[in-house]
Amino acid sequence: MLKYRNIIILILVPGLLALLSCFGVAAAFCGWSHVAGWTAPPPVYLGVCPVQMRLDSLAAIFLLLLSLVSFSVSLFSPGYLEHLRGRVSPGFYWLTVYLFIASMAAVVLAANALTFLLFWEVMSLSSAALVAFDMTSTQAQKAALIYLGATRIATALLAAGFLWAHQLFDSWAFAGWNFGGPETLGPSVLIVLGFAVKAGLWPFHIWLPYAHPTAPSPVSALMSGVMIKIALYGILRLFAFQSGASLEIALLILFLGTVSAVWGVLFALVQRDLKRLLAYSSVENVGLIALGIGLYLYGHHCGLESIAAAGAVAALFHSLNHGLFKSLLFLGAGAIDASVHTRDLSHLGGLGRAMPWTLLYFVTGSAAITALPPLNGFASKWLIYQGLFQVAVDSGNLVHVGLAIAVIGILAVVGGLALACFTKAVGIAFLGRARSRAASEARECAPPMVLAQGLLAVLCLCLGMGSPWVGRLLSELVSGQFSQPFVPELPMVNLALALLLVAGCLYVAALARTERSLKKYCSWECGYGRLNARMQATGESFAQPIASLLRPVLQYRMRAEISGRDRRHFPEQVKAEAGMQSLLESRVYGPLIAAVRWLSAHMARLQAGSIHFYLLYLLVAVVSLLVAGVVL
Amino acid sequence: MNVGEWLLFAAVLLVVPILTAGTIRKIKARLQNRVGPPLLQPLYNVVKLWRKGETVSEDATWIFRGAAVINLAVVLVVAALLPWVSFKPGLTGDDIFLFIYLLASARFFGILAALDTGSPFSAFSSSREATLSLLVEPAIVLSLVALALGAHSTSLGSIFAYGAAAGPAAAPVWIVAGCGLFLSSLVELSRMPVDDPTTHLELTMVHEAMLIENSGPNLALAEIAYTVRLTFLYGLTVQCFLHAVYAVAPVGMTLLAVLSVLGIFLLAAGTALLETVTVKLKWTRCPEFIAYALTMGLFACMAAIFRGGV
Repeated sequence: MLKYRNIIILILVPGLLALLSCFGVAAAFCGWSHVAGWTAPPPVYLGVCPVQMRLDSLAAIFLLLLSLVSFSVSLFSPGYLEHLRGRVSPGFYWLTVYLFIASMAAVVLAANALTFLLFWEVMSLSSAALVAFDMTSTQAQKAALIYLGATRIATALLAAGFLWAHQLFDSWAFAGWNFGGPETLGPSVLIVLGFAVKAGLWPFHIWLPYAHPTAPSPVSALMSGVMIKIALYGILRLFAFQSGASLEIALLILFLGTVSAVWGVLFALVQRDLKRLLAYSSVENVGLIALGIGLYLYGHHCGLESIAAAGAVAALFHSLNHGLFKSLLFLGAGAIDASVHTRDLSHLGGLGRAMPWTLLYFVTGSAAITALPPLNGFASKWLIYQGLFQVAVDSGNLVHVGLAIAVIGILAVVGGLALACFTKAVGIAFLGRARSRAASEARECAPPMVLAQGLLAVLCLCLGMGSPWVGRLLSELVSGQFSQPFVPELPMVNLALALLLVAGCLYVAALARTERSLKKYCSWECGYGRLNARMQATGESFAQPIASLLRPVLQYRMRAEISGRDRRHFPEQVKAEAGMQSLLESRVYGPLIAAVRWLSAHMARLQAGSIHFYLLYLLVAVVSLLVAGVVL
Repeated sequence: MNVGEWLLFAAVLLVVPILTAGTIRKIKARLQNRVGPPLLQPLYNVVKLWRKGETVSEDATWIFRGAAVINLAVVLVVAALLPWVSFKPGLTGDDIFLFIYLLASARFFGILAALDTGSPFSAFSSSREATLSLLVEPAIVLSLVALALGAHSTSLGSIFAYGAAAGPAAAPVWIVAGCGLFLSSLVELSRMPVDDPTTHLELTMVHEAMLIENSGPNLALAEIAYTVRLTFLYGLTVQCFLHAVYAVAPVGMTLLAVLSVLGIFLLAAGTALLETVTVKLKWTRCPEFIAYALTMGLFACMAAIFRGGV
């Protein structure tokens, strides 16, 4: 009996998901050229409008991303669940994951506001259930609560915005909405903020670093790779490919995107939990996508085609790219978690020899997210740079030119920070020596888990090499609006071939000769005796120079204590302590939450339990309504 | 494409890096009243290392040796991408962002190789390398974007082609951007005010300490990569200055090509002089130095914007 159960859990359920994902890929390819609509038959009705689905090319892109990531997740999950044995029941896990993936697909396909909200809620709640899978730890409870709070705020803002929009346009169907005019500023802001909360744009990103590390890794891959993109898809659907938006909305999105990019990567750099690091880096990449969307809206509003075309392709391409490489990295972190049972960088190290495949794929993902050519991250980042450059060249407004150049400079800093962040992640987790016993006993994860990562890594490489074609495909999507699509004409294939050829020749010429006679010896330790794992740099020490440079933002403090009789030459005890805190959490959200609690504690007095008071409230309400009726 | 030009370019690329590195050492030694090593000493070093055996840390993975190969490959490909005055070498794709991110990929693998051995020295220096690159990246980007603004294109080939026809008004942009690039190159190449390549203490170095575990052919690859990087970064700087000269007084392309090579040696001499009269800055003051490079980049952008009469 138990055996049948195993077969179902380990093969049939993931297999079905894989099959459905393949079906999703096929549907996405159909949707590229055809528009398909579907309305639910009569008994299924949402009160004021039917359940309506529509598959077009924009939805197809996100459906494709969802299907690719779910396919990898279906391969990865059975092995990963082994490691969670006893902490989560596979039945619960699979049921919720199915619900989560199905609702994401439905959100992407939704054709009207109520259908969208319905599945949006299913998506939010099923992912919240997955974040809360292990409610025994206080950390998980806190994470689940923060995430749930964020989803409530997002839904509330969206619902309010949708209602307002319905008032204005008198239609629930997205096709009937047009956010071009100045009277639509109110609902636009509400909707953009609702999506920004869900996408994790600054300053609403604080739920990401709690929710992503707590969820099981394949779910983090889905959440970070796909779910937050769906919020951006919402912005694209409602504003970009409908009618454009006002200049204020474009500038708001550009501003939030720029700040998110810097803020996210800066905080990613100083994290010690690998998945928290990845979560903050998602904030950065969401910021980059938002920059693309903002550029599109800006160009569209100002009638500058080249900017709009570059921005639209950049946003779509980077959504696809980030979905792939961030899922890859989360699966890599999951593989480490399954093998070593910790994600704390200060307990990892030296995993590269035990887990060579995971190392290879993690390096690929890191290189892609650092935007190194010829991988896919570079192509989309190049498009963003080009969009900003076009603003500087074409916009004709001195302030906008200056801002565009400033943002180009900021993006260069973001690139440098991302490089530091991901060399740290790879270097501290996989290279050097094991910093703990568990890390020294690490083993490569099961073949399907390796395969899942390999698939995503190959996709990253393919999208990078094929960036001119992918760019052309994506701009066909928006070509109805532009006479000249903006395509990343980058010689990625030539470049990759040249690099491979030169590197191969160099290897044969220089290093292959000494491969046999290679002498192994311990690393230089200054003659103090054998090197041990504690002498190595830690993640904190690697990030220290940058952290101390930017200490006002990070609230970074470092204290070192050296004691002993002759503390200068022969210290007996050396203690160093570094601390940082999120300025936003301590200065803004902390007081805000305290204020809400204070307010609700006092509001609770209203509910005194006395019938007399309640009658008084009723009287006051009726009288004030009457007065309001007379006056207005 | 002219075969003769290509051969000339390849020959220059083969000879100039070694001579440039040799020139810096020689002039520096002469300024310090030493005889100094022969001009071809970098070549002798590489030949010597090439013949030697190799010792690798027992903690290293494939990344350690792979990175050395990837680094040199990237640097050589970059050298083959960058246009040289009016000459465009074999590979297409001379985009400034491509150039910058290719350099970043060399740095990415350099840092990983340094972390791979688990040596605290190389980890220390790689963390500093990451910091310096973070600071210097916007300076390089802005200097190059300033040039691109005038040409309305981010391709270096178009930028140079535009620069040749722009007239005297473009000269300030070229000069200021060239200064920004030169200061950035000093940081990028770990030269004196930021990093001392000749000190004896591993803890104070950036570039050399990252290579502390490399030996034999592996170290030879790293040294070649450094000299080639030196050449094209200085080469780019020189071409900025030359375009300023050209904008004021147009000269023949052949003369310009000769001048561009001479200019590299001039910058090498300047570097040697700089390293003789200045000292290495304290680590915490390096950001102030890099701020000059960034300021140059910003000035160049401002010059480009106002010249364009936007």
